[in-house]
Amino acid sequence: MKLRNRASGSRIAVDMTPMIDVVFQLLIFFMCTLKMIEPEGDFDISMPLGAPMADSVTDAELPPFKVRMEADANGELVNLSFNGENLGGGLGAISSLNSKVFRSITALQAIGSDQLEKQEVEIDPDYNLNYRYIINAIGACSGRIGQNGVHIPYLQRIKFAPIRQQQ
Amino acid sequence: MKFKPANVSVPEIDMTPMIDIVFQLITFFMVITNFDQNEADERVTLPRDQLAKPPMAVRKNSFMLNFGYDIDSTGKRKSEIPYLFFGDEKATLEQVRPRLQQESQFYKTIGTKYEDVTVEIRADARVPAGMVQELIQMCQEDKIQFQRFALKATQKAEP
Repeated sequence: MKLRNRASGSRIAVDMTPMIDVVFQLLIFFMCTLKMIEPEGDFDISMPLGAPMADSVTDAELPPFKVRMEADANGELVNLSFNGENLGGGLGAISSLNSKVFRSITALQAIGSDQLEKQEVEIDPDYNLNYRYIINAIGACSGRIGQNGVHIPYLQRIKFAPIRQQQ
Repeated sequence: MKFKPANVSVPEIDMTPMIDIVFQLITFFMVITNFDQNEADERVTLPRDQLAKPPMAVRKNSFMLNFGYDIDSTGKRKSEIPYLFFGDEKATLEQVRPRLQQESQFYKTIGTKYEDVTVEIRADARVPAGMVQELIQMCQEDKIQFQRFALKATQKAEP
């Protein structure tokens, strides 16, 4: 009996159509669900319970750094002061705040490195101040970006002062 | 004389390069799709700060509060009152208390300590600071008692 040589026979053609269909469906799904969102980060705020928004008793030995932020009628920052020292208004004041915090923490480091971890910052804004200035002030207190894009941390314990009444 | 009929051959298109490209595209879209940020509301324009950094570890217990202005299709504010957005629903600061109590009750029921729950606040850059403080204060009331907060910002420098 003569057998056909199957090895040299025809290749089995796989039907690719269903796979291509599914792949296109997936492609369209991912394209439609794509939302271009800018990368987000956050700042941790320590608000211990018990005496909310008030001068709560903490393990910090030193009084908190006080950042007072005054706003005009439009909510723009007109006056920023750090521990009573006036730093002006606008975004220029935020960068001055950053340098002031740096000087203060350098002095703290001279006392002891553990002081730096315990040191708190208390942010005291006017009621109608635009929230973006709060974020800028928190950023200025929390550190700076070094020359190589490295994050240099300053202070991590940030809290809010009691709410000021709306004027 | 008898002629053989010419073989009618269907030209075959090589699909391989197309499938390659399509798979590349799918992989690209899969990688850049961020399913984590589905809670983020597009109506909120976050403030910008270079130092805002993503959390070191993924937070197991957290919920997000989107606090911003209702805008029309052109991006203009519909009203001067900021709202808290919960998908299609919205609530003013005064109306949000029951929702926060519900959220607090949920964590209590599943046995999670309030110290382990982070409230992520996505507030619009134009919202008055006092209102964000009021929101935090509300989150610390007797029946709610959240203690950890994270203020969200876009990781970019101010222009």
